[in-house]
Amino acid sequence: MSNSSRPDPCADELLAVRCQLGERDAFDALIARWHEPIWRYLRTLCDSDDAAADLAQDTWLRVLRGLPALRDAGRFRAWLFGIARRAAMDRLRARYAQALEPEASLEDLAAPEPDEPLESDLAALRVHLDTLPLRDRETLALFYLRELGIDEIATLLNVPAGTVKSRLFRARQMLRDRFNPGE
Amino acid sequence: MNVRENSLHDIRQLSRGELSLEARLGYVALLLFSSAMTVVIVSLWLTEPFLPARTQVAFGAMSMIGLSWLAFSLWVLSTRRPLFARDRVIAGRMAVAFTALFLAGAGAAVWVSNSAAAYGALITGGAMLLAALVVWSRARRRFEQLSARRAALSAG
Repeated sequence: MSNSSRPDPCADELLAVRCQLGERDAFDALIARWHEPIWRYLRTLCDSDDAAADLAQDTWLRVLRGLPALRDAGRFRAWLFGIARRAAMDRLRARYAQALEPEASLEDLAAPEPDEPLESDLAALRVHLDTLPLRDRETLALFYLRELGIDEIATLLNVPAGTVKSRLFRARQMLRDRFNPGE
Repeated sequence: MNVRENSLHDIRQLSRGELSLEARLGYVALLLFSSAMTVVIVSLWLTEPFLPARTQVAFGAMSMIGLSWLAFSLWVLSTRRPLFARDRVIAGRMAVAFTALFLAGAGAAVWVSNSAAAYGALITGGAMLLAALVVWSRARRRFEQLSARRAALSAG
């Protein structure tokens, strides 16, 4: 699992600095560059495209308002994903804080089961990813899909680097078990 | 368009609204005018002796209105429409020009009326101009730092 384009920290920082300067065309470039990675990350944290779209909009609103205060543009990538994560966590907290219907159960709040047959490895991966615990799923997505380093993920999630490694190991193990249930 | 493409389109629309320079500078102007208005009203209020109760209440109310607009514009500029580096430089210039004008007006009032209220506005106007110069200077320094960083990253 890896992105088609390798991240370029200098290019990311240059774009962030141009935005902080107030160059309006730099914002268009920023959104074009980061919309897809942010979308994919948020999609792993929620259960529908519509929910991911809402979160993406919330995330970008926070980014546009927070950019002038960003002290170190060199950490833009980790900062950006940190904002996306907080937006997702805020939404989840609000969702779980709502009073449940008397006849509802905890299963209602879990990711929905797919109702169409799996047709490709990618579809299978998406389904199996959705069944992982949120923390492990998120760590896996940040490491493989966003290509953040262990230390960056640890800072973003506010956990020790050892915890990040444990979650990655556990998540890989669970995915392996789901893809090969007989072994 | 699917949901993802719609999302990109919506975010682009959102950014255009959020990044409006005119809106930002409008709130800067609101901040400057509400500050000046509040200073004038409070100066008059504090320096006029023997005001009847209803006039005191009216001055109090107008002061609160001025302070409310000041607080509102500060809140918008810090949370909803924060200023980017170039915007800060422009806002700094606006602040210096406006407070210099205000100071000149207060000076003229002192020369014409020699009243305590005019002196109050003059002293406060001087403090406001000083603050505006500090804000402008910091904005320019930040803009130069970012510009230097951009040049270094573009060259490298």
